[in-house]
Amino acid sequence: MRALASLEGLEGRVRALAAAFVQSGLVRLRLSRGADDAIEFRRRASSAAPRVPEAAVFSANGAPERLYDVIHADLVGIARFSRPAPAAGLALESDRELASVEALGIRTPVRSLGPGRIVSVLFDDGAPVEYGQPLFEIDRE
Amino acid sequence: MLKKVLIANRGEIALRINRACRELGIATVAIFSEPDRPSMWVKQADQAFCVGPGPVARSYLNIPNIISTALITGADAVHPGYGFLAENARFAEICADHGLTFIGPQPRVIAAMGDKATAKRVMKEAGVPITPGTDILENAEAAAAAAKKLGYPVLLKATAGGGGKGMREVRAPEALEAAFVTAQAEAEANFKDGRMYMEKLIERPRHIEVQILGDSFGNVVHLGERDCSVQKPSHQKLIEESPAPALSDRIRKSLHTMAVRACQAVGYVNAGTLEFLVSGNDVYFMEMNTRIQVEHPVTEMVYGIDLIKEQIRIASGESLGYAQNDLKPAGHAIECRINAENAENNFAPAAGTLTGVVFPGGPGIRVDTYVSTGTAIPPFYDSMLAKIVAFAATRDAAIARMERALRETSIEGVNTTVGVCLEILADKRFRAGSYAIDFLPQLMRAGVS
Repeated sequence: MRALASLEGLEGRVRALAAAFVQSGLVRLRLSRGADDAIEFRRRASSAAPRVPEAAVFSANGAPERLYDVIHADLVGIARFSRPAPAAGLALESDRELASVEALGIRTPVRSLGPGRIVSVLFDDGAPVEYGQPLFEIDRE
Repeated sequence: MLKKVLIANRGEIALRINRACRELGIATVAIFSEPDRPSMWVKQADQAFCVGPGPVARSYLNIPNIISTALITGADAVHPGYGFLAENARFAEICADHGLTFIGPQPRVIAAMGDKATAKRVMKEAGVPITPGTDILENAEAAAAAAKKLGYPVLLKATAGGGGKGMREVRAPEALEAAFVTAQAEAEANFKDGRMYMEKLIERPRHIEVQILGDSFGNVVHLGERDCSVQKPSHQKLIEESPAPALSDRIRKSLHTMAVRACQAVGYVNAGTLEFLVSGNDVYFMEMNTRIQVEHPVTEMVYGIDLIKEQIRIASGESLGYAQNDLKPAGHAIECRINAENAENNFAPAAGTLTGVVFPGGPGIRVDTYVSTGTAIPPFYDSMLAKIVAFAATRDAAIARMERALRETSIEGVNTTVGVCLEILADKRFRAGSYAIDFLPQLMRAGVS
């Protein structure tokens, strides 16, 4: 129980840190304690405006930290899965089309931008999506 | 009646349109840029979509993403507000091409009024006096001949001009050649277009504009005038009032009549404003704004009419349902624009996070704003935070009420125009109602305490 309580406290502190990072305009923030406790927030360097960190995985017990690439929608439209339908766990051997966003009758492909493994699919097939909406999390390692 | 309106704007006007839709039982779709995500109009709308990053060209002017948002949400109309796409005839056409009702006038009228030369020709044909002037001037000699004919002082202007660039006041013949050459070089450098023309300089004019409403059945009414002569050195308005003070009944009536006649002549539909320069007994048409204006609330207070609802009703195909004689103005309204600006540094815009925000209330006070404590003001947009409107039976009572309201107002974290508005209200020229558009620049030069 004590461990759980301490984990909850930790989660609150991480959330506060994440909020501060989003506000800060920093591109990368890494904090470490000793050899095996570390946390890192990162965002795409090209984005001028503050936005949600790409992904942050906290490793409190020395497990290797994992950073996931997030693929966002870059226009407003209806997002549809490409075939074969992308799903969590799917390994991508190379760059491939994962989905498309249809806007004003024009279909714009959403690509994986390289190999990796889909960690999560963040929208429903046929759902409306907005600019900047996260669509996929990809593990590049 | 329309069922769902996409609000293609941000800030207080997005919230204002949302309020009108709510009261009419119409669903709303807000748009926003990434930094605007936590904003009040985003929270108040039924649906909200991010259409791009902070810079306006990629968000609030991003026509494909805005139209796509309207289509995927099933909106049947688009309200453009003011600024951004409000006077973009092509956008109005694109809306129509996608089966969306554009809440504003017809694209051909927007295009005609957006072109200075066409607008003046149309107005002249409708019998509205325009500033005496010339066509394109070939060279300094042609300018000298034209100036002699018009009579000094004259104003040299670049056809592509804006923000005072390529513009020169010339008060005597010996100064003309140098002014022509430098203004033309400035226009070429700034706009890659050195075409120049000339107008008679109107000395110390007042900026008085007339609000009109027209429906698709040919009915046009005016809703009185607004005096917008309190302008920053950049010609942006700071304080507006209705009715205009110290204006003879003859001129007031003639402005109203001309505005209605001009709108009937062009078959104008929806809300619009004709801006005039008034100098003594002379009246000149300046331009027509084919949209709702920032300062529309002063007219609403005096006429008891919700102009945004009227825009929506007209766009839905309804007739006005009232005639000019049914409209009875009462009382006096004044609006102060509260901007995040440093008045002591030529109204330079200020970005930052607002703290300790308190807006006024009580009898006769209306506040149109989208900000509260904690609102971050991004650097990308207009600096206006709020419009405070005071309404009372008389002008003196409205001024007293506005002073009281401004003293109740507190905004920390950025510089604002609250202080300079109080200075203006206290000035004896403003009190007398005898101010012209040089009033605020003069006051600033004299040094606001």
